[in-house]
Amino acid sequence: MNFFNTYKKQILYLVIALLVILAFFTVGKKTKATPIDNMLGFIVTPAQNISSSVSSWFSSKISSFKDDTNIAEENAELKAQVELLEAENKRLSMYEEENKRLSALLDISQKYPDYETTGTNVIAKDPGNWFFTFTIDKGTKDGLAPDMALTDAGGLVGRITECGYIYSKVESILDSRSSVSAMSLRTGDLGVVKGDYTLMNDGLCKMEYIDAESEIMKGDEIVTSYLSDIYPSGITIGYVKEVITDENGLTKYAVIEPSVDFKHISTLLVITDSFAQSALPEENTPEEIPQQTPADLQNQSSGDEQ
Amino acid sequence: MKRAVIIFIILIFNLVFQSTVLQYFRINSVIPNTALAVIISMALLRGRLEGCLTGFAAGILQDIFFGNSLGYYALLGVLSGYIIGRFNHNYYRENYALPVFLCFTGTLIYESAVFFTGAFFDGYLNYFYFLINIILPEAVYTAVVSIVIYRILFSVNDRIEKSEKYKRKLFSIK
Repeated sequence: MNFFNTYKKQILYLVIALLVILAFFTVGKKTKATPIDNMLGFIVTPAQNISSSVSSWFSSKISSFKDDTNIAEENAELKAQVELLEAENKRLSMYEEENKRLSALLDISQKYPDYETTGTNVIAKDPGNWFFTFTIDKGTKDGLAPDMALTDAGGLVGRITECGYIYSKVESILDSRSSVSAMSLRTGDLGVVKGDYTLMNDGLCKMEYIDAESEIMKGDEIVTSYLSDIYPSGITIGYVKEVITDENGLTKYAVIEPSVDFKHISTLLVITDSFAQSALPEENTPEEIPQQTPADLQNQSSGDEQ
Repeated sequence: MKRAVIIFIILIFNLVFQSTVLQYFRINSVIPNTALAVIISMALLRGRLEGCLTGFAAGILQDIFFGNSLGYYALLGVLSGYIIGRFNHNYYRENYALPVFLCFTGTLIYESAVFFTGAFFDGYLNYFYFLINIILPEAVYTAVVSIVIYRILFSVNDRIEKSEKYKRKLFSIK
């Protein structure tokens, strides 16, 4: 330990320099967990799994104790809603059939195909106050890969940033580092949904770069657009809460209320299709054309014939 | 060696606790930085070297499971362990005022550093908004929680030191 005492300063500077370099080189680039990460994951992930299920059990007990009185009322309300939704669902499935026939006639691929999904649980959330990331209990072992999108029953949750063997790190759409190419379902206006440090803790996010002339307004549904190469198109993100014109007067931004309740996320779906191949947009941008291999095109045309 | 294993177990336990149980105790969506409280307590009880090592281990764990890059939180942990370790020489361990005060100011500086290296470069220039809404509440919360954490680590450290006393000193830290 004498060695440490004599070269205390030098060692410290060396460590700082090494860490700074390491941090700069790995920023946002680490998509695969290293063996050390996986080893730690074998210790930490099961512990988090147990701990989070125990604490969520307690939390649900406490909240059910609180809400006990409203259950009957809520049940009646939900039954009415189910009836409504069933009727609507029937109507929509008829539309789907019609749509399929018409698309086949027009020889275009389905814009909103079915995705293959797998269920997963949230086991831990970010221990800080600045970011909104969490870990889920599935990794490369279950066939997950970085950049896969996650959804809840309500809508889009985020994407996988790093995969370990038995765990994955997820960046939610509320995180300030996330950006999702989005579209207003009613008007078709495009924008980018981004996380915001000031809105994150209220469970809101922001849609930026909206054209000033667009007619986007409060209550509009925002979905993922067909321009993204990470997120499949047509997944609900949320609803417009407020539209604000930027100071420069050229663009607007909208405050979005996500349809997912980010305070209570527990079970999620991972879209495991690498959708870049399966769902080609109608309007192919020049960058996207080279990604099509002949095999894909064949698959597609055969799919359309069915 | 025994000491290192025990501290590592404490840190892993802290990470699990912070990322699962404490999530249900967010006050106004602010969560205390218990990892920093552990680093500060260890640095106060044992000095610079162990402060640095604890800070590094705690930081790298957070980097691996929640960070965006490898080394960012580790660097912050090493620096806080080193700076707080300075106070190790001249204070009475039984005195709780210093650890609590240092946890408060330490969290203020730590989170401000996180702000100025992250959000500030993203164009969020309004420091006072974040100071009032995130940093100050977090510092207060951490200071309160640190009383418990310091108490636990104090007795754990006492036990380890007693068991080490009877062994031959192969590595004397000081």
